[in-house]
Amino acid sequence: MEILGVMLAVLGAALAAGLAGSGSAIGVGIAGEAGAGIMTEDPGKFGLVLLLQALPGTQGIYGLLTAFFAILKVGLLGGEAIEVSVWQGLGVFFACLPIAIAGYYSGIAQGKTSAACIQLIAKRPEETGKAVILPAMVETYAVLALLMSIILLNSIKL
Amino acid sequence: MIPKNGYTYAVSRLKAMANRLLDNNSIIRLWESETFSSAMKLLSETHYAQWLSEMKNENDFESLISSELNYVVSETRSISPDKRIPILFQLPFDFHNIKVLVKDKITRTGNQGRRIDLLTSLGNVSVEDLILAVESEDYRLLPFGLHAVLPESLSIWEQSHDVLMVEKRLDAALFELMKSIAESIEIEGVKKWVRAKIDAENIRNVLRLVRFGLEIGKISSFLHEGGFISKEKLLLLVNEPLEGWGRLVGFADAAMALSEITDFSDTEKSLTELEKSLDDYVTGVLGPYRYDAFAPENILAFLWAKDIEAKNLRIILVGKANDVDKDVIRGLLRNVL
Repeated sequence: MEILGVMLAVLGAALAAGLAGSGSAIGVGIAGEAGAGIMTEDPGKFGLVLLLQALPGTQGIYGLLTAFFAILKVGLLGGEAIEVSVWQGLGVFFACLPIAIAGYYSGIAQGKTSAACIQLIAKRPEETGKAVILPAMVETYAVLALLMSIILLNSIKL
Repeated sequence: MIPKNGYTYAVSRLKAMANRLLDNNSIIRLWESETFSSAMKLLSETHYAQWLSEMKNENDFESLISSELNYVVSETRSISPDKRIPILFQLPFDFHNIKVLVKDKITRTGNQGRRIDLLTSLGNVSVEDLILAVESEDYRLLPFGLHAVLPESLSIWEQSHDVLMVEKRLDAALFELMKSIAESIEIEGVKKWVRAKIDAENIRNVLRLVRFGLEIGKISSFLHEGGFISKEKLLLLVNEPLEGWGRLVGFADAAMALSEITDFSDTEKSLTELEKSLDDYVTGVLGPYRYDAFAPENILAFLWAKDIEAKNLRIILVGKANDVDKDVIRGLLRNVL
């Protein structure tokens, strides 16, 4: 039973890192394709394109952070071994879900917004400030999900 | 079928290439220029400058415009994930070339000069291949069903000696082909564009043929199926004065084009106004897709916008070269986007 508890926590950590990372990979890929299209015509826009392409990458970092917290919580990253019941393991698993789910979808959505904004700066480079704000709005919901995952992880008493 | 997100690179590249479109300010400056040479000077300050070396003489703006169009079409073709979209755009140019060659063949038998200077290299089939096929009467290698349509058009001429009949057959083949390609692409905006093109052609045909005094049965044979307005509805226009056309087809977006005609009493002027507003109508069909960062329709919209820009430039430069009144020129200018 103790192993099952730890495994549930590990599954949660794996989903947080895996799904949020996948969302980021897809998002960064979409923005990258758009960026390549723009830079073929105007290589001078590399700096702006890189900034916008990097934005959807944060969800992957949030997922990784949550995964670290989760495995730290159940004592898999050094320290003393902690006894984890199935219910506690399930709690850690559920605590990881907000960033796993929101990270995946917000990563893709942010990638699409970044791609659209990369197209915006191709036509109107003077609007770069606004072009960064629009995909940053999507980031809000990934940050909220990260916050909730951390609060939930902290609320589980082991 | 290519997924919608497969167009991200191509659409982004075209958005960057959209900077090659002349903006309204540039068009207005060209239009306001007093002489042809000052208009050409202004044009040489835009990205058209890179084609100045293509000009055969200082008045040869056609080489400038053709070079830009050729470049844009070939670039778009190379980056388009679905090649059928640029092919669809280029098809009318292929059929234009065939019309030129057929007419050339017809007139040459009467010992008149050749007209191949009117051929355009914007088609899918190279001009050289087309000329070779016509010269050798070996049409087997021509694509898009041209191997059948071309000899058929020539045989129609042999039988009827009526250029209108030849044009009718070629137009019917063009729109059938465009419809079938658009259906196979399965992109909403592309299908709408083809339907709008058919509507525009049908309305143009009705107006022209009514002016020729053709009877309703004959006019019907010149209309194409597949537009937003059915043939039956279009034939109702034949016996209606031009003023009432907008009311009869009010259910269709093309009615907007008819509502823009200001002077119904002057047939020549109304035809010119109709030509312009029908082009604007076709442009408008692709308008909403401009705001979708991943829409494949953007490929067609860009090509069409470039074609309209070329039309506008020709109108301005020909107008300036012939001292046409500025207001007349302005009345002919199309919306680019």
